[in-house]
Amino acid sequence: MGNSHLTSTEVQETVIKTLDPPSRGYWLTVGLLALGILTGAACWGYQILIGIGVGGQNHPVAWGTYLINFVFWVGIAHSGTLISAILYLFRAGWRNPIARAAETMTVFAVCTAGLFPLIHLGRVWLVYFMLPYPNQRNLWPNFQSPLVFDLIAISTYLTVSSLFWYTGMLPDLAILRDRFTGTRKKIFTVLSLGWTGEHEQWRHYTRTYLFFAALATPLVISVHSVVSWDFALSIVPGWHSTIFAPYFVAGAIHSGLAMVLTLMIPLRRIFRYERLITIEVLENIAKTIILTGLIVGYAYLSEYFIAWYSHNIVEQESFLWRATGTYRTEFWIMVICNSIIPLILFVKRVRTSIPWLFGISILVNIGMWYERFVIIVGSVAHGFVPHSWGDYAPSIVEMGIMLGTFCLFFFLFLLFVKHMPSVAVTEMKEAIAKENDHA
Amino acid sequence: MPEEYIMATFADEESAADTLTALRSSKHPLHRVYSPYPGHRILHAMKMKKSPVGYFTLIGGLLGFFAGFGLSIYTAGQWSLIVSGKPVTALVPFFIVGFECTILFSVLGNIIGLLTQARLPRTEKPPEYDAEFSGTRFGILTSCRPDDRDKVMALVREKGGVGKVVRSDETKVTKVTKVN
Repeated sequence: MGNSHLTSTEVQETVIKTLDPPSRGYWLTVGLLALGILTGAACWGYQILIGIGVGGQNHPVAWGTYLINFVFWVGIAHSGTLISAILYLFRAGWRNPIARAAETMTVFAVCTAGLFPLIHLGRVWLVYFMLPYPNQRNLWPNFQSPLVFDLIAISTYLTVSSLFWYTGMLPDLAILRDRFTGTRKKIFTVLSLGWTGEHEQWRHYTRTYLFFAALATPLVISVHSVVSWDFALSIVPGWHSTIFAPYFVAGAIHSGLAMVLTLMIPLRRIFRYERLITIEVLENIAKTIILTGLIVGYAYLSEYFIAWYSHNIVEQESFLWRATGTYRTEFWIMVICNSIIPLILFVKRVRTSIPWLFGISILVNIGMWYERFVIIVGSVAHGFVPHSWGDYAPSIVEMGIMLGTFCLFFFLFLLFVKHMPSVAVTEMKEAIAKENDHA
Repeated sequence: MPEEYIMATFADEESAADTLTALRSSKHPLHRVYSPYPGHRILHAMKMKKSPVGYFTLIGGLLGFFAGFGLSIYTAGQWSLIVSGKPVTALVPFFIVGFECTILFSVLGNIIGLLTQARLPRTEKPPEYDAEFSGTRFGILTSCRPDDRDKVMALVREKGGVGKVVRSDETKVTKVTKVN
């Protein structure tokens, strides 16, 4: 893990120090983000007032940026659970310093993603139609529909990741309770649920945490598989594919890891976390990005191979158009940012350089957003019948809503890291103790 | 003869675990042990049974599976319409609903298990609790007859800890951990 000289006290003090009163710059950033959120809310309000037609989505592209952003944010949410659950089960020690922030990213990303189906509904007040509730006409949601799978999967994922996040935080909240006074002490007293670290509590807690990790692992794979089936279960060329589930899961982890780097690098610098989030930790994330980038690249190639090998002219036309048609720029941004640029990380000097890592993480984020654009828009814009082909461009209202939701994500994240423990102190202490034992 | 309660605190896990082993072999009851993290040496020295939380998780999972599957089958049966050429009771899509509900209810069972077994939330901390137990120190609450007090204190000192006598009415011991 590379933190052999770290002590438990140092970790604790470093994290507690991050909760010092924020600077003016912090509040200014929070204020600007709040302004962005208000812009998004105003655009959404305008859409509710006027109608869904103020968005750019229309026949044949009925799913525009709202669904693109939905899939993008669900994808971002995935690496948090990968780091907190899957790497926990694999006992990968390097996950400890970044697990909390990654889980936080997951929770806020799912919240952000969850807004988009509501926005896309148009008449948002009818959202309860999607819920299975007894009504006078005995009408129920169609449980054979992938959109209903999605509702269940995403709400399960939000519940599980929030509970996992909170449970993992309990001992850290007790640390803060015991070290603060006044109102903050009262808040942390309530939030820590009276945690004392007694052996009986640890006995049940360790077991609970293990089960959490074991349950979150299949869940994380299933959730993005279910999201992919929103597309794959239709017959649209470009969507109707059996590789969509693993392709989406790999892409989700790819984008999520990139977002972890995008968030961790500034966090590490601002909060002086250099001794906790070491360059080895960032390097390990970069190595995982190489792997997921290769899987994503393989999926892109497979799609073309299958289109050629199947001799299906509709499929072949769809994929040829994807690379050479209206959205070719978006397509090549996707390919270059997601599959080619991550290969630079094979060079050790690059993956141990903070500016390079930060730059590549931003490019992968952009590439993954465009991947969702190419899949969602590019497929329905050029379907079976030439007379129904058509282009799509997001309207200013959609752009405003998108800005608002991006601001919302960063706003929530900023508020969290300054008011709650952004590094899992207890897990770090445990890791240090284990390392000392091995030494 | 009434027992005296002794709170021993340690700066490191190894000393606390050694003291625990010594106290267990000398048959002194261990009432509470505090640690800032789930140290494996302490858990090993305590020789504790596995937590029953897993049963809550299992029950939750079973309930979830049947609830998800059952809800899908029941609702599809209300109108018995063929949708997308699939049978009214379509097992493959309903399995997805069943699976997601299995995970959801398992996790809810898991949380209920933790809260009920670890007796959370609590409004009061035990009187002998020290804020340092959430920081870096380890604590053991044991008891002995007044005649044995010096022996226990000496043991604690020998292991590098600090012992303190706690008034029995202050400890509010509700559950005594059985030792072999």
